[in-house]
Amino acid sequence: MSLVLVGMNHRSAPLALREHYAAADPREALTKLVGDEIAEAVLVSTCNRVDVVVWAPRVDVARLRLRSFFERDLAREGVPDCGVALEDALYEFEGAEAARHVFRVASSVDSMVLGEPQILGQVKDAWRLAVECGACGSILSRLHERAFACGKRVRNETGIAERPVSVARVAADLAGEIFESLEGKTALLIGAGEMIELALEAMRGAGLARIRIANRTPARAAALAERFDASAHGLGDLPGLLAEADVVLTSLGGDRPLLGRPELEAALQARRRRPMFVIDIGVPRNVDPAANELEGVYLYDLDDLGDLAEANAAERRREKIRAEAIVLEEQQRFDGWLSALSAVPTIRDLRERAEAVRAREVERVLGRLELSPDARDGVEQLTRQIVNKILHAPIARLRDQEDRAQGLAILETARDLFDLDGREPGRDEEGASADPSDDLED
Amino acid sequence: MNLDLHALTAAVYLLAAILATLGASLRNSRVARAAVATLAAGALVHAGAFLAFHEFQFPPPSTGLPGAVSLMAWFGTIFYLAVALRLRLRGLAVVVAPAAFLGVFFAAIARGTGPETPAEAGALWGAVHVVLASAGLALGGVAGAAGLLFVLHHRGLKQKRRKRSSLPLPPLEALDRVNSLAVALGFLLISLGVVTGVLWVQETRGELWPGSPHANAMLVAWAIYGALVISRSLSATGALQAARSAVIGFAFLALAVAGVEVLG
Repeated sequence: MSLVLVGMNHRSAPLALREHYAAADPREALTKLVGDEIAEAVLVSTCNRVDVVVWAPRVDVARLRLRSFFERDLAREGVPDCGVALEDALYEFEGAEAARHVFRVASSVDSMVLGEPQILGQVKDAWRLAVECGACGSILSRLHERAFACGKRVRNETGIAERPVSVARVAADLAGEIFESLEGKTALLIGAGEMIELALEAMRGAGLARIRIANRTPARAAALAERFDASAHGLGDLPGLLAEADVVLTSLGGDRPLLGRPELEAALQARRRRPMFVIDIGVPRNVDPAANELEGVYLYDLDDLGDLAEANAAERRREKIRAEAIVLEEQQRFDGWLSALSAVPTIRDLRERAEAVRAREVERVLGRLELSPDARDGVEQLTRQIVNKILHAPIARLRDQEDRAQGLAILETARDLFDLDGREPGRDEEGASADPSDDLED
Repeated sequence: MNLDLHALTAAVYLLAAILATLGASLRNSRVARAAVATLAAGALVHAGAFLAFHEFQFPPPSTGLPGAVSLMAWFGTIFYLAVALRLRLRGLAVVVAPAAFLGVFFAAIARGTGPETPAEAGALWGAVHVVLASAGLALGGVAGAAGLLFVLHHRGLKQKRRKRSSLPLPPLEALDRVNSLAVALGFLLISLGVVTGVLWVQETRGELWPGSPHANAMLVAWAIYGALVISRSLSATGALQAARSAVIGFAFLALAVAGVEVLG
C-alpha cells in the first residue's frame, strides 16, 4: 500500500486546462474513484490546482487509474484550447513525496500567492467531503490532520503569511497603522470606475460610518452610491467632503492633479489636524505628491503600494525556507507513523503463521505419543517459548524502523521470506516433513 | 521583606520587558499578550511592595528619590495597563516595561544605600506631594514614550518603506490619544503636586516658595505641560508636534528633577 498523488497546479497547467479539469461534482467523482484499485482518496479542486491523493495497494495501477480519472471523470465537455496536453500538465508523487506535497499545499508554500490563507480551508473542506462520502479512511485522514497541523505551524512559526502582498491589503494594513480602527470613520471615494467599485466592496465590512462618492458625473456616483449605501456628490463638494474624510481614495482620469497641497492643507485645518490617509490609485496621479509633506497627510500612490507589496512578497519568499523545514519535519513524522503502522499487520501475520505451524506440528507429534496431561502442557509451553524466542529478534527489527524507505524494504522482505502474502498457513506444509533437514535433502 | 518584594517586582518587570521585546521582534501576538499580562503581574507585586512598606512606617519616608522613582514606575505601568485595555497599545509595552524595570531596579539598589527622609512635621503633605508629583511625572513619561513611538512611526509611514527589522508599532491614532490623555492628566497631577509642595514647605519651613532648584525645575516643567495642554485643546498643534513636545517635555523633566535630586 502506498500514497500516490496526481495533480496539476498554476505552474504546471494554464488556467484554461485547470478549469477544464476542475471537479464539477467532487462527491460524485470521489465515489467513482474509490474501489478495488483505490482504497482511499481526497480531491482538492480550487482555481489554482486539482490534486488527487490516494492510498492504494499498487502504485502503478493507482497512477494509471488517476490519469484515467482526470481524462474520463474530471474532464468537462469540449477540448481546452491552451496548447498544453493533459499528460504534460500532470505531476505525480509517490510515498513520502506525495505526503510532502499535501503538506506543502496545506501550508500554502505551493500557492500562487505564497502564504495565502484560503488554501488551508479549501484543503479542510476537500478532506471533510471525502470523509462524508466514505472515500477517506484512517490513512488519508491522518495525513490531512498532520497537514492541517503543519499549515498551522507554518503560519504561527514563520512570517510567511504576515505581511500583505496585494495592493488592496497593503492599503488596508496601512489604514490600520494610522487609525485605531475604521469604525466611525468617514471614507471619501473620488471617481466611479471599476477600481472605486472594488474598493467599495473591500471597505464594506470595515465598519466605516460614512462613505461618500464624488465624481465628475454625479449621476454615475449616485448609481454607485445607491448600491453601496453611500452618498453621492459632484466634484464641487470636495472642499467640504475632504474636511470630513479620514480615508480618501482617488481614481479619476485627467491630466492634472485634482488635489494639491493647498486643498489638503485647508482640509486639515478644517478637521482640527486629525490625520488623513490618502490613497491615490489614479493614473496619472490625482494628488500632488507634495501633499505628503503636510504633517497630517499620509499619501500613497499606486507605485508606493506596489513597492510595499513587492517588499512584503520578498519577505515571504525569505520565510519560505523556514516553512519548508517545518514541512519536512512534519512529513518525516507522518512517515514514521505510517511506517510503524505498516509493521503492525506484518508482525500480526508473522505471529499467526508461526503459531499455526507450531500448533499443527505439536498436534501431530502428540497424537503419536501417549503423554500425561502435565507432559502435554509442558510440550505446548516449550514449543511456544521456542517460537517466541525465534520471532523475538525479527519482530523487534520490524518495529524499530526509523528510516521509512529501509523500513518498507524490511517489511517487504519479511513478508516474502515468511510467505505472509502467499498460501494459507498450514495447508502447504501438509506433506512436508517435520524435520527441516528433509527439505535440504530435496 | 520589602526590599525582597521590590527585587521581585524588578524581576517580573524585567521578564515583561524581555517578553515585550521578543513579542515585537518576532511579531508574535501571543508573546506580546504575555508581556502585558506579566507587566500587570509586576504591577500587583509592586503594589504589594508599597503596602508592605506602608505597614512599617506612616507617613512613609518616600520623599527620597528611590521611593519617588519606584512610585513613578508603578503609576506609569498602571496608566499604561488602563489605556491598553481600550486601545491597541501592546507595542507600547516595549518602552513601558523596560522603563518600569529600570525604575524599580534603581529604587531597589538605591534604597539601601541612600538616606531616607525621616518622618517629620508636615510629612503627610510631603508624602501626598511626592505621590502626586510622581504620578504626574510618570504620566509625563508615558506621554514621552508614546510621543517617541509616534515620531518613529510617523517617519516610517512618510518614508513609505519598511525595514525588515522594524518593530510593529501601535497605530498613530492610539499613540496620539495616549499622549493627549497622559499629558492632560499629568498636568493636573503635577499642578496638584506643586500645590501640595507649597503647603508642605509652608508647614515645615513657613515659606511660600522655597526657591530651591527642585522647586524651580518643577515649576518650569509644570509650565511646559500647561502650554502643551492649552495648545492641544486649541488645536494649534498637530499630533506630530504634540508628540515631539511630549518627548522634549519629559526629557527636560527627567533631567531637571533627577538631575537636581542626584546632583543636589
